[in-house]
Amino acid sequence: MTPNGVVAIGWPQLLLAAGFMLITGALSLAIGLGLVKDLAVASVRTYVQLLALGVVLRWVFAVRLWWVVVLLLGFMTVVATRIVVKRAPDAPRGLFSPALFSMVVTAITVTFAVTALIVRVPVWYEPRYVIPIAGMVLGNSMTGIALSLERLFSDLDARSGEILALTALGADRWEAARASVRLALRAGLIPTINSMAAAGIVFIPGMMTGQVLAGADPLEATKYQIVVMLMISAATAIGSILAVMLSYRRAFTAEGVFLEKGLRGPAA
Amino acid sequence: MGVATALLSARELTATRAVDGRDVRVLDGVSLELAAGDIAELRGPSGAGKTTLLLALTRLLPGAVGELALAGVPASAVEPSAWRTEVALLPQRTALSGGTVESNLLLPFSLKARSSVTPPSTERLREALDDVGLTDVALDRDVARLSVGQAARVALLRMLLTAPQVLLLDEPDASLDDASAAAVAAMTARFAADGGAVLRVSHLRSDAAATVRLHLEGGRLTGGGRDDA
Repeated sequence: MTPNGVVAIGWPQLLLAAGFMLITGALSLAIGLGLVKDLAVASVRTYVQLLALGVVLRWVFAVRLWWVVVLLLGFMTVVATRIVVKRAPDAPRGLFSPALFSMVVTAITVTFAVTALIVRVPVWYEPRYVIPIAGMVLGNSMTGIALSLERLFSDLDARSGEILALTALGADRWEAARASVRLALRAGLIPTINSMAAAGIVFIPGMMTGQVLAGADPLEATKYQIVVMLMISAATAIGSILAVMLSYRRAFTAEGVFLEKGLRGPAA
Repeated sequence: MGVATALLSARELTATRAVDGRDVRVLDGVSLELAAGDIAELRGPSGAGKTTLLLALTRLLPGAVGELALAGVPASAVEPSAWRTEVALLPQRTALSGGTVESNLLLPFSLKARSSVTPPSTERLREALDDVGLTDVALDRDVARLSVGQAARVALLRMLLTAPQVLLLDEPDASLDDASAAAVAAMTARFAADGGAVLRVSHLRSDAAATVRLHLEGGRLTGGGRDDA
């Protein structure tokens, strides 16, 4: 046990956890799922990426330099944006900048609202708070943005006949796209709303589990978790709304004509 | 063409589209004039560019070049959405929005382009439906429960209620029975008689009321002429 009551996991025990994957792999082989290679690669990546993260964070927490924190956040944001753009293959060109802008605005406003107003960290860039919180904000807004953008452009394509009829009746881009925008934003926000409703009854949220395992008092961990869940909802909502409102026009020409998938060119 | 001032005129409309990696001229210098009261029938083989021409006239074809004017006013002086309220296209695929017959008929009046226009009253809508033979269709009927022929007439009526100057119809009777097709022909004839101009793409039936016959092939207008000339 470490001084604060946490049972430390030894290196041999950490390797032992790979046994879970051996069982899963054996099952996959037995049923013929064809997932053995994917499982192996994913397991190795889990070890390597998370251990690397631990090493990097230990260093970042120790040096406590503002520019290191900012650089790390910038890197995380760019990676998250690339994932979003890749997940919306039907989207028009030029999606990277609106997605990046939405991510940056969301990450800055939500992260620093939490660290400055709620947790009240004495130093604005305190890495021990800023980085994990920004990570959760980015991760969740990334999922929300990716879901809503994917839904936005697939629904616009599905409604192309109706959109042509609306445009022919004199509708502008917003009037033609509105129904799809609504649907896309609902799609992006519903998973978060569901997980808020189920938290504490159906599952103990991940962050709280981590804190409790690391020795925190359950009630204190709960307070953090409540803040985190509300923060995640805000991040998902702000990020999705910004991204959708900034990108739906890209499926239209300046004259308000909807460009079907074949005319839009690949996402870049 | 006609001596009367053209209501809609198009000069040298040209558009290219990439097909299998090559640029194909889908419209190749098309010029035409429609006067008030005209019913022009546009025919031509599949892929001749008939739908493309209608899109270009409505300014719904990205990349199209050429001159368009409505009652002498060049298109460049008119906002695209305002242009489309006067030069109205009814696409081939009937695409009503989800909701009731009434909400669909009123939809055009909820758009910014018609913010200064008073929407028709419920009585007026009822009358209009009766006029086109849809006496048995209630205003609160969900459009999902309309037959193909009824939906086509509702879509055309929705367009006519906005009182455009020019009506472009893309095979308005393609999937209609004879009775519905006759109703559609009667609606367009009345629109033209009231001073509008109609251009309709025809495939199956010929419109006996047509005053101008146009033929489009390979993106060029060939032959055709004015019946009353």
